[in-house]
Amino acid sequence: MDILLSPQLLAAALITGVLYALISLGLNLIYGTMRLLNVAHGDLVMIGAYVAFMAFSLFNVGPLISMFAAAIICGGLGWLAYRSVLQNLLANSEILARLEENSLLLFFGISVVVQNLVTLFFTADRQGYEYLSAIVEIADVRLTGARLAVLVVGSVISIVAVLYLRFSLFGLAMNALIQNRDASAVVGINVDRVQMYSLVIGFGITGLAGALISVLEPITPVMGFPYTMSAFVVIILGGLGNLWGGFLAGLLLGFLEIFGVAVTGPEWRSVLVYGIFIGILIFRPQGLLGHGRIAR
Amino acid sequence: MSNSFKFICIAAVIIIPGSLSGFASEYMLGIGFTLFMYIALAQSWIILSGMTGYISLGHVVFFGSGAYVFVLIWGLVPVWLGVALSGLVVGFGAIIIGYPVLRVRGPYFVILSFGLAELVKNLVLINEARMYVSLRPVFGAPPLAQLYIAMLVLAVGATVLTFWIRRSRFGAGLRSIREDEWAAETIGVPVARLKLMAFALSGVVPAMVGAIFIMRSGIFQPGDAFNPIVSFTIVTMVIIGGSDDAPGPLLGVAFLVILQELLWANWPEIYMIILGALLIGFVLFAPGGIFSWLSKNISRGNKNAA
Repeated sequence: MDILLSPQLLAAALITGVLYALISLGLNLIYGTMRLLNVAHGDLVMIGAYVAFMAFSLFNVGPLISMFAAAIICGGLGWLAYRSVLQNLLANSEILARLEENSLLLFFGISVVVQNLVTLFFTADRQGYEYLSAIVEIADVRLTGARLAVLVVGSVISIVAVLYLRFSLFGLAMNALIQNRDASAVVGINVDRVQMYSLVIGFGITGLAGALISVLEPITPVMGFPYTMSAFVVIILGGLGNLWGGFLAGLLLGFLEIFGVAVTGPEWRSVLVYGIFIGILIFRPQGLLGHGRIAR
Repeated sequence: MSNSFKFICIAAVIIIPGSLSGFASEYMLGIGFTLFMYIALAQSWIILSGMTGYISLGHVVFFGSGAYVFVLIWGLVPVWLGVALSGLVVGFGAIIIGYPVLRVRGPYFVILSFGLAELVKNLVLINEARMYVSLRPVFGAPPLAQLYIAMLVLAVGATVLTFWIRRSRFGAGLRSIREDEWAAETIGVPVARLKLMAFALSGVVPAMVGAIFIMRSGIFQPGDAFNPIVSFTIVTMVIIGGSDDAPGPLLGVAFLVILQELLWANWPEIYMIILGALLIGFVLFAPGGIFSWLSKNISRGNKNAA
């Protein structure tokens, strides 16, 4: 049981948890405001990671700077997706009737296209780079500088984002949209604009997280998929559309995963994540913090 | 059509391509095998997902489980009994896991089905590692010509099954679930039982397909047997073919198998990109698929003529 009390493990769990919180925040915005099931979400992580990798290997720019470029590029993709396809999709009543299923198939197709395009350009090989790899020691915890930076930057950005979305006027408008789309249009919220910004911010945050992740693990075209799964686990745990719940659930999943793997072994990682996921869907589809009714 | 005429038709559909197995080349038999395999898989997908609207993105879980059961009992029982047993075991397993899984509805079910396939894949991987097996060869399988005929029989069987269910009381119940599950339950459709039956039925066929497929590939590897691309291909085939009825997917399957034959070996990425693009295009522009688009336009034409 000693292993469960190790501060080293605690730090690892915090890092994973913060990244999950950040990524699922993006997914939550998109699902909450538009009811789009973005199963290509993890691919934005992958794109962000490739942006950081390219920035480092071509221009020698570190991920702490290129993460803003990743956010802008992914946000731009969000804008493009909204203006080209999703805007019409959300206006089409025939598709809107089965929006969740249709958007899921749509994003599934997009995910496959994106992954394979990236494979064509960058090959399926694992890529990576060295960045702040010196060991830092804080209160008995030994971390590489990169992991420490990820922890600090990830925490700051996710907390700022949650606070902004809770207290700013735009955040309030978005919350209104999450609660009731029709009613928010009635009280004068520009639904179209809020939807577009939700998508841009959601994609951008996720791309930024991807740039941070690029220093932690090998970069491959299929690296995003586990994050898609984790993000869905998190937002279902936290309650769909509940940003604060999602933030806590992200941390919780990070802890469950890191400590679970420490107890059982690395080959159980996927089993743990999928097991938690299936268990939650079957036993508490309204989320851990949710109330009796299933949000639809 | 009288029953005996139907019977003759079905017999002809089996006998004509079946007789090819005597003289067609190995290559042609291979393509035929793949074609029949996907016809069987797509038809079995329709029984659950097409009719009830419970879209499964993890249909490969039945395929892989069937293959796994088959390699575990390989050599212990006669070959064709092994195939039937794989189907039975997986169908029985589907009844057990279907009970909790089918309580989850709509988009949640879609994601769950995918997660379930990955979960089973990882459990099989762990189990294989624990037994110190990295890959399992299957020696002494029947020749391709026999496997080809077996697959043909499965494909025809699955098509007839889907065709029959679609026109039965059972099928009407399943479709009422798709239209409005609450309403169906209220007027007395035994929703839970019908879903479970459809789930089990749609699992038996792919399990047997998986068993036969493993004899053809000669080796069992969890990563291949539970490859999500198989699930993805099935969904795309049905979406392209369209409709919740048996004839729809035949078009989609034929089209994609040809595409696969041309591209998969040398340009897998291009194949996947085309597949993804097709899925996107059909969801956006022709959600009913080729079949419903054709029948809509043909019936419009007939009306104009009259």
